[in-house]
Amino acid sequence: MRKFIRSIALFIPFAIVIYIVFTLIWGLFIPQKLNKNLNYRIGTYGHMFTRLHEAKNVREVDFLVLGSSHAYRGFDPRVFSQHGLVLFNLGSSNQTPIQSEILLKRFLKTMQPSRVIIEVNPFYFANDGVESSVDIIANSRNDLLSIKMALTINNQKTYNTLIYGLFRDLVGLNKSYVEKEIKSEDTYITGGYVERQHETLQWKPTILESQAPNEKQTNAFSNIILMLHEMKIPLLLVQSPITQELYKTYENRVQFDQEMRQSSTYINFNLEPALNDTLHFYDPEHMNQKGVEIFNQQLIFILQDSVLNGYNVQPEKAAQKAR
Amino acid sequence: MLFNSIDFAIFLPIVFLLYWFVTQKNLSLQNSLIVASSYLFYGWWDWRFLSLILFSTLVDFLVGMHLEKQENATRRRVLLWISILINLGFLGFFKYYNFFLDNFVSIFSLFGAKFNASSLQIILPVGISFYTFQTLSYTIDVYKRKLPATTNFIAFAAFVSFFPQLVAGPIERATNLLPQFYKKRGFSYDKATDGLRQILWGLFKKVVIADNCAEFANTIFENSADASGSTLLLGAIFFTFQIYGDFSGYSDIAIGTARLFGFNLMQNFAFPYFSRNMAEFWRRWHISLSTWFRDYLYIPIGGSKVGTWKKIRNTLIIFIVSGFWHGANWTFIVWGALNALYIIPIMLAKKNRNYLNIVAKDRILPSISDFFRIVSTFALTVFAWIFFRATSLEHAINYISGIFSKSIISIPDFQNMGSALVTLLLIFGFMAVEWNGRRDQFAIQNIANIHSRPARWILYSLIIFIIGMYMQTYETPFIYFQF
Repeated sequence: MRKFIRSIALFIPFAIVIYIVFTLIWGLFIPQKLNKNLNYRIGTYGHMFTRLHEAKNVREVDFLVLGSSHAYRGFDPRVFSQHGLVLFNLGSSNQTPIQSEILLKRFLKTMQPSRVIIEVNPFYFANDGVESSVDIIANSRNDLLSIKMALTINNQKTYNTLIYGLFRDLVGLNKSYVEKEIKSEDTYITGGYVERQHETLQWKPTILESQAPNEKQTNAFSNIILMLHEMKIPLLLVQSPITQELYKTYENRVQFDQEMRQSSTYINFNLEPALNDTLHFYDPEHMNQKGVEIFNQQLIFILQDSVLNGYNVQPEKAAQKAR
Repeated sequence: MLFNSIDFAIFLPIVFLLYWFVTQKNLSLQNSLIVASSYLFYGWWDWRFLSLILFSTLVDFLVGMHLEKQENATRRRVLLWISILINLGFLGFFKYYNFFLDNFVSIFSLFGAKFNASSLQIILPVGISFYTFQTLSYTIDVYKRKLPATTNFIAFAAFVSFFPQLVAGPIERATNLLPQFYKKRGFSYDKATDGLRQILWGLFKKVVIADNCAEFANTIFENSADASGSTLLLGAIFFTFQIYGDFSGYSDIAIGTARLFGFNLMQNFAFPYFSRNMAEFWRRWHISLSTWFRDYLYIPIGGSKVGTWKKIRNTLIIFIVSGFWHGANWTFIVWGALNALYIIPIMLAKKNRNYLNIVAKDRILPSISDFFRIVSTFALTVFAWIFFRATSLEHAINYISGIFSKSIISIPDFQNMGSALVTLLLIFGFMAVEWNGRRDQFAIQNIANIHSRPARWILYSLIIFIIGMYMQTYETPFIYFQF
């Protein structure tokens, strides 16, 4: 028995080392298509590399935006700057509260935003967060927060990508990488925004996946509320416009709105739509540039005109609930 | 509790340490630990059904004791039937009530009669088909005086509920497993490491092969109406490997886990996809169930030592019952009947005892004739699995007619086709390892023969790495849990 326990105790570190070595070999030499659970894609969809690179040098903004592609494709800093407001967009593909929390912890102190805006929708809470976690791991320098994120998500794909990501950071393989500003139809705009050159709606909504909230995500969201409350930074939750055709397929719209209102100040732009499904979207989830401009002007009007107070809830109460 | 879950990864070492360090000196305590941990393992799904296992255990324990004492043949038969009716009664209610009710209503409605019978919302207790058959084997063996009845309730409860094989087999015979609970188990290093090897291989089969194949098989079967013939064929092949990886993977983990605790369970799969005819396939597929039906159904009704027509009848009965055992759906019955139709000509030609040896035993590759036999047997198996996987007979027939259409000559096309290529590569590698290890109890058992420890450990680590790199990242239950 002693021999058996000793062998197991020796084998575990041995296997870990071999696992890491093979992960590095796979990451370096095996084509991405053949790596099911290692998804290290630097500089791909959503310009995350450039956004995070730029974020390091950004100081004192009026608004810091977080959320999924609805965020980085829906809040244009140029529209805000026309009103003398500085906005930085930290949205990322399929971002969930787990990633929002990590990004806030990384950038909140340096950016010192007057207000944080989080773009919320049922999928922000329902998503497992794996795709967004590997996006952040591949496109930023990893730290203890990345490890914490991986442990929270607890998914093999995130672990493998993190192992490989830490290795690349250590060796400095990404140092010389420069991401293209224009990729296919997407153009990166300073301030974290991605503009897409599409005029009309391209496709119909498909069958929706589950919208049931994930417990890990609601916990992370509570942490965000608590953190912002402690730092006395107001939080605005925004559900940005999507096509009405898609919005009507959301099963738990009313309940979701109620929950968001209980969490913080919340505006749902889908309740009284100012946009037209055909004219202002390029796909069911994303506005075209015309749609973004109308939506952003509307939001700025609300923010500047103190109309926001009409939407307000008691942040103290929300923070207490988060505790 | 699923074998492929974090819960089990925590549960197993705890029970292992308690078993060998705390309860080792007291056999009764050790058996009690097995009972307690098995009930915890089962109760993790639904503790309410623990009462069923406990009741079955009590009934068969008492019936066994009375059978032992009773000399009167009629009374002994009555006791046997009490056990059979109670056990099969539970199985019948939970598994087949709605099936019989629906078919009963359908038949009467054909004659214009109306019935107001509504189906019940019955939850099928996990593993009921497995432990029911296991306890029945005990009662029947005691009845036949093949085995003395036990007076040790704890040992008997441990035999019925032994967690490694409680929910999906192998369906152990009382004559093999029960006596192992009577005597002290000594720890064997070789046995334990062999058990770990088998667990590792079982895990690979389940989370890499079965779960990846499931993704594509499910997509194709669920969208079969729009798929081309070649896509449908590929879907059937994916399911063929899914079910093998899933079920034999479970068996490997069960057998390996039992070995960690000093028990020997029977081999349940012996490389069935290398069979050279369907008779050989059925000697190698789900061996514990096939031999159960052979011993407790086929032989009692006459087996093969009867006239031709009775032989055909007996074969049909055993395969149809076996199909029905898998689930309350006509698809399983047709699957069973189809396999009987495969076997009957082989039996009539008296070739069912051919190929008792291991294929290409002293060769690296099979002969050309063996290769074609393997491929044709595999093709028949794939065809039969379509009925097993389809949701209804109509679905199966449409699926098959879809395969035999002009679009069979086209490139398969479905969602995630690109990542299906990775799975095909994994299947290819998996079958190569299985072929290499076909002479052993499980494919990677021969790693033990490699003299160099670092080389062995690198191979284990490589398997762990492939699991980590190619596993499905969400927990999927084993297919056979539904049976």
